[in-house]
Amino acid sequence: MEKLKMIVIAMLITVILPFAVFAGGSVDVDESATVSIEFWHAMSGARVDLIQGIVDKFMAENPNIKVDVQYTGSYNDTLNKVKSAYKAGNAPDVFHSYEIGTLGLINSGIISPLDEIAKKFKRKIPWDDFFTPVQSYYKYQGEHYSMPFNSSTPLIFYNKTFFKKAGLDVDNPPKTYEDIRAAAVKLKAAGYENPVTWNLHSWYFEQMICLQDEPFVNDKNGRSGKLPTEVVFNGEAGQNVLNWWIGMEKDGLFLDVGPGWSNHRAAFGSGEVAIVMSSSSDVNRLTAALEEKGWGMGTGYIPRPEGAKGGVAIGGGSLWMTNNHTSEEELAALKLITYISEDESQIAWHKGTGYFPVRKTAMDQLKSEGWFDENPNYLTAFNQLLDSPETLNTSGGLLGIFPEARELIQSAIQEMYTGKPVKQALDEAAAKANASIAEWNEVIQ
Amino acid sequence: MKQSTFDNKYLPYILLIPTFFILVVFLFYPAIETFRLSFFKIHPWTGAEKFAGFYNFVKIFTNRDYLRSFILSAFFALIVIAAGLFLSLLIALLLNQKIKGMRFYRSLLIWPYALSPAIAGALFNFLFNPANGVLCYFTGFRTWLTNGNTAIIVVIIAAVWKNLGYNIIFYLTSLRNVPGAALESASIDGAGSVKKFIYITFAFLSPTTFFLFVMNTIYAYFASFGLIDVLTEGGPSGSTKILIYYLYKDFFVHSKIGYAAAESLVLFSLVVGVTALQFRTAGKKVHYQ
Repeated sequence: MEKLKMIVIAMLITVILPFAVFAGGSVDVDESATVSIEFWHAMSGARVDLIQGIVDKFMAENPNIKVDVQYTGSYNDTLNKVKSAYKAGNAPDVFHSYEIGTLGLINSGIISPLDEIAKKFKRKIPWDDFFTPVQSYYKYQGEHYSMPFNSSTPLIFYNKTFFKKAGLDVDNPPKTYEDIRAAAVKLKAAGYENPVTWNLHSWYFEQMICLQDEPFVNDKNGRSGKLPTEVVFNGEAGQNVLNWWIGMEKDGLFLDVGPGWSNHRAAFGSGEVAIVMSSSSDVNRLTAALEEKGWGMGTGYIPRPEGAKGGVAIGGGSLWMTNNHTSEEELAALKLITYISEDESQIAWHKGTGYFPVRKTAMDQLKSEGWFDENPNYLTAFNQLLDSPETLNTSGGLLGIFPEARELIQSAIQEMYTGKPVKQALDEAAAKANASIAEWNEVIQ
Repeated sequence: MKQSTFDNKYLPYILLIPTFFILVVFLFYPAIETFRLSFFKIHPWTGAEKFAGFYNFVKIFTNRDYLRSFILSAFFALIVIAAGLFLSLLIALLLNQKIKGMRFYRSLLIWPYALSPAIAGALFNFLFNPANGVLCYFTGFRTWLTNGNTAIIVVIIAAVWKNLGYNIIFYLTSLRNVPGAALESASIDGAGSVKKFIYITFAFLSPTTFFLFVMNTIYAYFASFGLIDVLTEGGPSGSTKILIYYLYKDFFVHSKIGYAAAESLVLFSLVVGVTALQFRTAGKKVHYQ
């Protein structure tokens, strides 16, 4: 019986669909039809169960939709799996990508833009309810291509107990390059050998360029509608960041812990260092690590040169829909990602991980619950984001070869540690990036 | 003893079908595809192809980073093979003595081979990572993995250590097969233990050494990926980025499919070339019983 129903529906769709499309862009679909969709994400550990929990609730509310959720490895692994699956004709309906994959995906030819799908089914996504920095990152040429999901920014974390011992103001974290350096000098004098660290990651460098309200790439930071042709991270803003960063390393104030996300956390947790920069989604983890030792932890905005007027750009990831699916599946996918962005899911997600909720109403609810009185460090991250002006630069740069650019920058920073002048290393990295951009732009069209 | 035979002419081929099926699907087809793709520019998402002739090869061989990786790989392989074979022969000789509890020592020494490269990498990371590495603490030297000169040393040590067990097993087995009579008669002729080792034991070990040479070449070029990924991610500044890691980055991270295909063809020819060279030179001197 069920099968017969499906066949009838399928036949109806094949007959009606072409007319519906030609009739003016909106489609009639049977919303109660049974569909099953696939959702691939890149969140490991306890986050796997958390996402499954959110999806289970969604399925309970939409009994006709079955969602197969899979953790498919890192962002990079997930994207590679999506690529292969797409070529084989069985791409997931919804997948998760990091923010820096945005321009690549927009031009990939394998996705359906979110706003377009929403329009097709006459569903309005309340973009005004999303935090501006969050939705402006994922907006390209006035269109939203994907649904913001896990959002974070970098923060400064500091050990209050060590600050006190070094005679520093515990409630007033360092705000500028000079502040961090001065604090580091005092901490070193108090016996903390290499008081500052963060992992070797280009993300901090990118964010500190945003803080100076400068772009990362040309063509309006990659947002002009044309594909950007050149990186500009080797300009004065980029040099400012690294002159300060490398200068601290040279003077023995900064500990180089290499790439990856575990070493700097370990160094902070064991009391090896007193100041780290890390993702705001580390608040839970680092608070717990310091509590275990009986130390207090504070958080602050990431540092900027004196007087810089920019802000942070959002990091994290968003949810994308692939094309080549039936209307029923598209609608189900749309419902799923909308559900994940709604308050209930986002609050559960925030509490379980430390990533921001993406919507203002979710934030208001958390505030009225008194959540931030208990967890003041989360508020730092929010305020830092809300204090950021909205410009093309703080929306975040878009670049097709972003993952490669990151590697080039990280490699350049390691060269600077061994003595190469900042400007020279950055110029060389930029030249390599530009060569890759030219190739990418040619292949992608 | 009478050997049983099959009269059916087709049976052998039928029995070979499963093997051939696996070989074609997982080996021949991908190899031919790689060869073909190395002459194309390929869209990173849809896989759309554009013929490009030798573009990819010209590009990679005019790229200084790639050439550096090429030389680094040769250096890496050389040291890993030389140190690996030398140490494992030494240990195998020691293990061939009659000492109490030898079985226990033997299992301990062969153990590393049972670890996956990623686990071996994690162990070395535990020892050498700059935040809280155990050996960083004891040596008072922090930058084992963040200094280019020492990072490659750590990776080499890890790679040699990881493969020791494999080499030891083979050496130990062939040491067992060195005929006692030959050693005994040499002693009677007045040969010392060094001479006995060089002229008799090592002569008997030469087929094994040759085999291990080939296997270790393949290991050094292909199998050390996991170690590097966990320990250094190819850094600092590319100082541990050997060809296989370069290839991984170009394909899986940068989505440069054409380059990656060309690079894997280069890597393939290189290992085949080195192996063929070994067969032509060293292979001729090998003494098979």
